[in-house]
Amino acid sequence: MALDLSYNKYSDVSYDEKERLFEECKADDRWSHVLYGCYECGICVAACPSARFYDFSPRIIAQAAAREDVDLVYTLMNDSVWDCSQCFSCDRCPRQNSPGQIITVMREVAVRNGLQTAKKALEGYGRIIYKIMSTGSQVSPDMLQPNAFPDWGGHVGEISDNLEVWRKALPPETLHTTETGWVVDDKTIIELYLIWHMTGVMDMIESIDEGLHMILVDVMEEKLEEAGYDVTFD
Amino acid sequence: MANQNILIIGGGPAGIEAAKGIAALGYKAILVEKRDRLGGTPDEAQYAALTPDFRDTDEALGEMMAPVLDNENVNILYNTLITGAEGSIGNFNVKALSLGKEIEIKAGAVIISTGFQHFDPGRETQKYGYYEHDDVITLTDAEKMLKAHNFVRPSNGEKPKRVCFIQCVGSRDRQIGNEYCSKVCCGIASKQSIEIRRLLPDCKVFIFYIDMRMYGYWENEIYWVAQEQHKVNYVKGMATEIVKKGDKLLVKGEDTTLRRPMEVPMDLVILSVGMEPSEGTKQMASVFGLKQNKYHFIETTGGVLDTVSTSVPGVFAAGAATGPADLEDSVSSAGLAAMKAIAAVRQSQKIPA
Repeated sequence: MALDLSYNKYSDVSYDEKERLFEECKADDRWSHVLYGCYECGICVAACPSARFYDFSPRIIAQAAAREDVDLVYTLMNDSVWDCSQCFSCDRCPRQNSPGQIITVMREVAVRNGLQTAKKALEGYGRIIYKIMSTGSQVSPDMLQPNAFPDWGGHVGEISDNLEVWRKALPPETLHTTETGWVVDDKTIIELYLIWHMTGVMDMIESIDEGLHMILVDVMEEKLEEAGYDVTFD
Repeated sequence: MANQNILIIGGGPAGIEAAKGIAALGYKAILVEKRDRLGGTPDEAQYAALTPDFRDTDEALGEMMAPVLDNENVNILYNTLITGAEGSIGNFNVKALSLGKEIEIKAGAVIISTGFQHFDPGRETQKYGYYEHDDVITLTDAEKMLKAHNFVRPSNGEKPKRVCFIQCVGSRDRQIGNEYCSKVCCGIASKQSIEIRRLLPDCKVFIFYIDMRMYGYWENEIYWVAQEQHKVNYVKGMATEIVKKGDKLLVKGEDTTLRRPMEVPMDLVILSVGMEPSEGTKQMASVFGLKQNKYHFIETTGGVLDTVSTSVPGVFAAGAATGPADLEDSVSSAGLAAMKAIAAVRQSQKIPA
């Protein structure tokens, strides 16, 4: 679908609210290091892999932000920012802008503020977020279910039937796992939980998916308590 | 015997610089100025501050002209207009009207530094409504207000909340006939936008442009500063018309890089008018029989490697008399003209009078 840059998109949201979100972006410590002025030259678009497949333009992100176009920034925060693959190929900007990092900040503001579009964009990632945040590894062998990746072909089913055997066939003992990609030490997982807790990641999860947050909190609080930490996620 | 005096016509930055150079080298300069003071257009049009360094214009010009004001090698003739010329290199006889009296000036060489005039935005078309809307002004009108530190809407005396510049008014336009870029307007608009933002921090400033031409250090000294620190909005796209809507002006154009039409309300619109040859430049070309280019600036004959020699030996042109020029160009070409004029009178000494 073509990127809609019309002025009246999201006209139901007040200008003050859009401005509040933009000010939150600008208040981020990274903002002034990733956004200067924009020549609107398009070198970032030329380098961008996403721009070749989607109607996505890192230039428009940078120019909207540089022009402080509050309406347009709000529009992009609800649409375009989720088309970026965060590869930072756009970092070749002659003004030293980083549209990718501008997007990082805009995404975080969108998530922190629980924008519906952010929830929708991240909906499909619930399973992966649960996996990585509860176990410390993003992809696990037991995700290989016959119906999970039909495009991988029928043999996926055979593998999942005898998963433990297949995994044992791998030489490194750290890979003899099925629920995680590799053996994750308890010490590692405790540290990850503490980092996510202290850096506000858990708050961001809560603002986009309360159910997922509840499940994660149960898992984490129990493990942290066992390890002797008195941490509450509220 | 050839005359060793050098006549300089026009007492703006180029003329002052040429006179300074000639005097410093021990030759006599006769500096003719039609007004009753030196300083030329930056003084007459009341420029607030110079581009790109924001130096106070009066202070900078004062410092520049001080050495020629009290200099035994410089004879300044104020309120003087050149009316005719005959002779050739080494022996020019120039007629002038000085304070209403006819006089004759003898010189071995002549430097013409009669400069430019600002494009009149009402000259060809009324599409931007310069003479129709009080709140449509030019760079020069804006400069006067900035000099007075009183930047307001002429219609009601209130401080504007939204101001835009429209670039290339009277420049780069085949229909108007001025096909050239006036060279300085991008820089001046950017400089003024910074001054406006400093004076009125709540005022949004837009610059609608075709290309931003901020060569050399103007790039990072004014363009980047305006855009990055002062959040001036540079929008690639020209306004096609301005209409009045209630108390505001509606500027219509295209936001080309966002591929969408643009209709934005403004409190004040500043037309970035370019340069045209001044009446004095056209008159001197005619008096001395100098070739002019199709825009009526004085044509220089040496291409890019000689920017001051004209079609008449012994007559040189400096500054904006030869085409759009900024102050750096003007004083640089004036220094070159002074050097070449001295060389010309020394050379012509060998020719019997």
